[in-house]
Amino acid sequence: MNVQIDNQTEQLHPVSFEQHHKISCFLAYEYRLLDEERFDDWLALMHEDIHYWMPGIENRRRENLLEHGFYAGDHMAYFDDGLRDLTRRVSRFKQASAWAENPATRNVHQVSNIEVYYGETDGEYLVHSVIQSVRSRGLDEQYVIYGRRTDVLVQEAGQLKIKQRLILIPNATLTCKNINTFL
Amino acid sequence: MSNIIKTIDVTDSLENLKDVCDIENGRIAGKIFYDQAIYEQELEKIFARCWLFVAHESQIPNTGDYVTTTMGEDEVIVIRQKDGGIKVFLNACPHRGNKVCFAESGTTRGFICNYHGWSFNVQGNLVGQHESGIYEASDFDKAKWGLKEVAQVDSWKGLVFATFDPQAPTLQEYLGPMTWYLDALFDNQEGGTEFVGGCIRSTYDCNWKIAAENFVGDILHAGWTHDSAARAMLGGSVAKVSDFEESYSVNWNGHGYEFALDTVGNVAVLGESALNKYLHTIKPSVAERLGEFRSNMIGAVSSCTIFPNFSFLAGQNTVRVWQPRGPNKIELFTWVVVNKSAPQEIKEKWRKGAMMTFSPTGVFEMDDGENWEYCTKTAKGRVTAAQDLYIGLGMNSRASDTSLPGNVFKGQLNEANARAYYQQWFDHLNAKSWKELPNRNFGKQEAE
Repeated sequence: MNVQIDNQTEQLHPVSFEQHHKISCFLAYEYRLLDEERFDDWLALMHEDIHYWMPGIENRRRENLLEHGFYAGDHMAYFDDGLRDLTRRVSRFKQASAWAENPATRNVHQVSNIEVYYGETDGEYLVHSVIQSVRSRGLDEQYVIYGRRTDVLVQEAGQLKIKQRLILIPNATLTCKNINTFL
Repeated sequence: MSNIIKTIDVTDSLENLKDVCDIENGRIAGKIFYDQAIYEQELEKIFARCWLFVAHESQIPNTGDYVTTTMGEDEVIVIRQKDGGIKVFLNACPHRGNKVCFAESGTTRGFICNYHGWSFNVQGNLVGQHESGIYEASDFDKAKWGLKEVAQVDSWKGLVFATFDPQAPTLQEYLGPMTWYLDALFDNQEGGTEFVGGCIRSTYDCNWKIAAENFVGDILHAGWTHDSAARAMLGGSVAKVSDFEESYSVNWNGHGYEFALDTVGNVAVLGESALNKYLHTIKPSVAERLGEFRSNMIGAVSSCTIFPNFSFLAGQNTVRVWQPRGPNKIELFTWVVVNKSAPQEIKEKWRKGAMMTFSPTGVFEMDDGENWEYCTKTAKGRVTAAQDLYIGLGMNSRASDTSLPGNVFKGQLNEANARAYYQQWFDHLNAKSWKELPNRNFGKQEAE
């Protein structure tokens, strides 16, 4: 991933201060929707061709790297979703019988280190960021997930949509039992 | 063979285990999920003794291909040899014990310890050290200081198992007639199965047995625990298991497989009609290969655990090991298994579908973790841990008039497999060796 960013930065063109601010606000808004369990509003931010991908991370030696280093397109993934899959996940959250969501999980999502560049086509943006998700359940359970994220956003009919999302956590072993949220 | 591991001394069994595991009377107690002394007995009398799943052959096809895993809490390297065989070594240098392989998988010509540069080849032999000259002056015999090799390694239809115990029965004897049922998933097509890429690891604050028991024979939880996931994936509730006319719970040596004969009940929850269709398409050839009975099992409502901690779901095609990490913690290793001969797009749908349902982000698994953690955590209470837990469903459900192999019980909604599982656990903890282990099997060794 570092290699990708280094290479890209050479040719990438950062957006204006104003556009950077708009996109930063969009990412913060998106995360607030998740914290407030406004899942339908969150889904509405997804492009119909969304690829929402969080590959599994493999702890491999430098001489034995995979297609993308620590991950590969044909390996197991936490999320490798299109819009139908995301909609199904949201549907589970909304069932009264989602026993493990009642009492609710309390979420704080944070996004930082935001870099915004012009994308390949007009109205498209490449966004690098660092994310943090804190969840608490019950009286004393707390889970924190850190990651690096790359998004492709597109401006469509005056609204930003998320078209691609790559989430990379540093952990080869997830330090919690599940990821009952989006990142 | 001086590189074979030293067998550990077996300590005395704990007294009064019957207070917390009384299977004849259909009761266990939470103490077995939270007690450090019991856990230490398990590492010694179960994990250092039983056959444990370590890899699938497809993960290490070529010489020098390896994966690392654990047997109990012991770290091991599983590596393909030049002659096509597989060796399993302790992942610890015989000099100061440092780990010699830090990667989870890869291909190598050997391993070099980071500490003093001891270097081992694929066969585990010590082939060199930093400052090798000084060892000669101490009459050092290199041949005696290779990586320590486990006592036995064997495989069944691509599933590689290993045991630390040279006295352990053969893998074939250990699995017994369960192999007949395993083939419904692992040998239903020419060429057998393979794992798709990668292994997902996650951490649960639960006892390893509560998870293994869930797969050995607890379909009862599915209709209730997983209602939300079923509604999300299918738009309705899961199949009502009590409506099935014919279903079974079968066990042997503590292993258990519970199943219906509805062909696609499990695969259906992945919500990919192409997978249902694939199973229906191959079903006639499965019937030809394995007989009609098992062709009904290929993606049916079912689950299986091979004692002590290897589990899978046919249909969802998730394969997992519940790695013990203390009495109240596990690391879950999961893989996705597919038929080698399946079309690429079918394999791809299984890769995604298995993760969508049974993984840390899986809509089904999410509700399991919560349950298993609190079954464990409540036993932190000294008084709570001593209370009886009911495990008596299906006490009188033994199928006497069956041609099926194994200890066969009628119906999946049955705690017969769970009882057999905990009985085996109890028997191991009370036995100092394999010889002392009672044989409680009553069923047929082979299918008729």
